[in-house]
Amino acid sequence: MSGNAERQTILDVNGLSAGWGPMRVIHDLDLKVFSGERIGLVGLNGHGKSTLFLAIAGLTGWQRGSILLNGHQVGRTRSQGPGRYTHLVVRRGLALIPQGDEIFHGLTVEEHLDSGAFTKRAWAERAPRKKKILRIFPPLEKLMKIPVGRLSGGERRMVAIGRGLMADAELFLVDEPSLGLAPKIGKSVVEALMAVELGSSAMVIAEQNIALLEGRVDRIIGMHAGKLKGEASKGFKSGTA
Amino acid sequence: MNSSFAISNAITLACIYGTLAIGLSLTWSSLGLVNMAYGFVFALSGYGAWLVAVNISDWSPVVLAAGILTGALGGVLVCAAAFIPIHDKPNFPLRALIATLAISLVGNQMLLWYFGPRAKSLPRLFGNWNADIFGVIITSDKLGASFSAIVLLTVVLLWMRSSRRGLEIRAMMMNPHAASIVGIGVRRTGFYVMALTGGLAGLASVLLAQTYYVAPFSGITPMVKGLSIALVGGLGSVPGAVIGAILLGINEALTSTLLGGQYVLITQFLLIIIVLLIRPRGIAGILDKAREA
Repeated sequence: MSGNAERQTILDVNGLSAGWGPMRVIHDLDLKVFSGERIGLVGLNGHGKSTLFLAIAGLTGWQRGSILLNGHQVGRTRSQGPGRYTHLVVRRGLALIPQGDEIFHGLTVEEHLDSGAFTKRAWAERAPRKKKILRIFPPLEKLMKIPVGRLSGGERRMVAIGRGLMADAELFLVDEPSLGLAPKIGKSVVEALMAVELGSSAMVIAEQNIALLEGRVDRIIGMHAGKLKGEASKGFKSGTA
Repeated sequence: MNSSFAISNAITLACIYGTLAIGLSLTWSSLGLVNMAYGFVFALSGYGAWLVAVNISDWSPVVLAAGILTGALGGVLVCAAAFIPIHDKPNFPLRALIATLAISLVGNQMLLWYFGPRAKSLPRLFGNWNADIFGVIITSDKLGASFSAIVLLTVVLLWMRSSRRGLEIRAMMMNPHAASIVGIGVRRTGFYVMALTGGLAGLASVLLAQTYYVAPFSGITPMVKGLSIALVGGLGSVPGAVIGAILLGINEALTSTLLGGQYVLITQFLLIIIVLLIRPRGIAGILDKAREA
């Protein structure tokens, strides 16, 4: 899928700064994501991985700089109103799977998956999409009618990721899929993400555990102090670098 | 006053106030807004129905629809004035409370100024007959009011369970932040919610005007009762509001037959205080099995 000569740019971030109030978390950041790519974004806690994702979705306190999603400008200079334009960005083809899942605790698993396909285009074909999600996460099949508030952490993560994958998106941003889960469950969740057919869309996975990603994503990008630092391609092994 | 009259009265009032309670509850949980202008929307839709009944047609479906549509319009106005400009500013709940209270005061004065202090009465929507159910005589207006409140509320709640818009509103109720992540626009959903709850206020207004009158300040008492029912039920929970309405309706019937009508508000608020002492989250705290985090 990668290495294609006429690769299409899905996401083009240029000179992005973002943060909350007086705190500036992202500093003049540039990032390009091409279609069909799976990218690992690694870095320590507090170095801006989540903030980068939130800034792309328009959810930070303030931001500045250009964000082109599929050629449409979704970044703008703004100083307030976090989330006001998020639904427009989502309609342009962004699926954010946030840290901490952000579930609707009273909705059932099935309603969650439906809500992931909320954009009009995806809503019409949500039945086959749900089947696809159940193939990725078979344990959800038995839980379809159960409110998500009663599920375990691993099951919730599956629901949150499933909800993101339901969207008719060009760009999937997955924030720390293994965070807070038992190592074995976290690993299986990451493996499920690796198995997702991307087609022409792209996926960026933020993760602290580099061992889960190496050799299985097309590029690994390091993030440090609000800037991107260094990049490695598929053959990369952390032991030999 | 005999007991069957009091009971049928209480059931009717429970249906109407329950409708208001559900409207207030939905607004609170999805927009984070305690809608103090709800009483104004209530009175406004009463006047809307009255205007249509006098000038256009007094056929009952038309009057009922006029009330609901005026209510929805009033809800949209409140949303545009008190939610859209301030919803992402700091300290929103308090500001919204003050803004809706201001709309309520201004609006009620404008109704008084335009329509005058004299109460208007709506035409009888449900005819003039009596039904005999197990020896209890129920007048047509009460039966009709309870029946249409229950039917329309059921339709609204089923619609919220099954449709895309309903899912949108319920998602907003549970987690507005996550709702924006799945592509739900908070501001647009705000208009839908306020139109829907305004329509419920309009329905309640027309139904209550069958037994009372339409007057500039006729919305205040129903709003207080609706709010207290919503509090007993647990703000934000529809089943809680239904149970709260039944509970307060029974209380009203029992108090007015055993003690006398003037004690209703006293026992009502005693009951609310007791429920909230035992269950601070209201009745919904017992029903809600899915907890946050």
